[in-house]
Amino acid sequence: MLDTRSQTLIIRINKLRQYQVNRLLLCTLTTLFLLSCQMNEKPLPIFGEREVVGTDTVYHTIAPFAFVDQDSSLVTNETFKDNIYVADFFFTSCRTICPIMKTQMLRVYNATAEMPDVKILSHTIDPEYDTVALLHDFANRLGAESNRWHFVTGVKDSIYKIAQTSYFATAMEDKSEPDGFIHSGAFLLLDKQQRIRGKYDGTKEEDVNRLIIDIKRLRRDEK
Amino acid sequence: MKSSRMLIFILTSILVWIVAACVPDNQNKSEDSVKFQQYYVEGERLYKVYCSNCHQSDGSGLGRLYPPLVRSDFMQKNLAEVICLIKYGRKGELWVNGVMYNQPMKGNPGLTELEVAEIATYIYNSWGNVHDRVEVAEASSILAACPDR
Repeated sequence: MLDTRSQTLIIRINKLRQYQVNRLLLCTLTTLFLLSCQMNEKPLPIFGEREVVGTDTVYHTIAPFAFVDQDSSLVTNETFKDNIYVADFFFTSCRTICPIMKTQMLRVYNATAEMPDVKILSHTIDPEYDTVALLHDFANRLGAESNRWHFVTGVKDSIYKIAQTSYFATAMEDKSEPDGFIHSGAFLLLDKQQRIRGKYDGTKEEDVNRLIIDIKRLRRDEK
Repeated sequence: MKSSRMLIFILTSILVWIVAACVPDNQNKSEDSVKFQQYYVEGERLYKVYCSNCHQSDGSGLGRLYPPLVRSDFMQKNLAEVICLIKYGRKGELWVNGVMYNQPMKGNPGLTELEVAEIATYIYNSWGNVHDRVEVAEASSILAACPDR
């Protein structure tokens, strides 16, 4: 004969079992739902304005540019032909967000080591101080090879203009800032047609994890 | 019998003497450890604001750009220079564990002497580094003698 206490206990255990079964069911359904999402994954968005010309849609792309990298080589839109690339804006003497961006970009660089069609383009926004020789030393010390990661300098206004109008990134001089410049910490993901397919906060590890996943997705989609 | 009693008496006396000698010492130590904790915790907060962007929150540095603070022979040999560069910055070649670094570091002139001492206490006691607390008085006299003030 069971006393009341034991009976309550048995009822409780039964309830708990029921709860566990419910949870298991919920879990299975959620997993199935997520799996189906993965299968019907939407392609990455295409940023910027678009125009319809006849039957074709014309998307926003990066305007023509010509800069010089750490090896004094000319870097233009042609350099990234048939390549996916990640772009950002920084300067070597910056001690606020740039070192964090470079730490994160180094993660992108290492994660894409086995992907010959993925490159990185870092523009200095302080070309007067960041000369080719200085960028060469900087890249070298960071451990970056110039065929995969270009550190470019050029005419200051051209860099600011391409940042704002092509990459939708902020970059300008501001004497009131501690280091003399304001710029966003954004990383931009460009596809093989030089269209922006993603914008990420280069100072946040989770955002950069997402970028690395999106690079792999973009490579799959563009094959 | 008599000699064993004598031995117990002597041993007890020694024990009492040791305990007596240790008690005030322990109190000093605990006061010291509270001070140490205060310096360390505040130093950690300041490190995250002023230093970790480049030297990383785990003190590992970045490539050959920003030197590591973990097991850094430069730090072990040059406390005074480290204290000076935290506040006044540094330019030129710097050798750490056999690697040459050459990225100019801007100073943080706004830091007080106490804040410099706290940062120094933090970096000299983290990531396997072991050192005494860097007293504000010590930091203050070193800072007064920095060459690049």
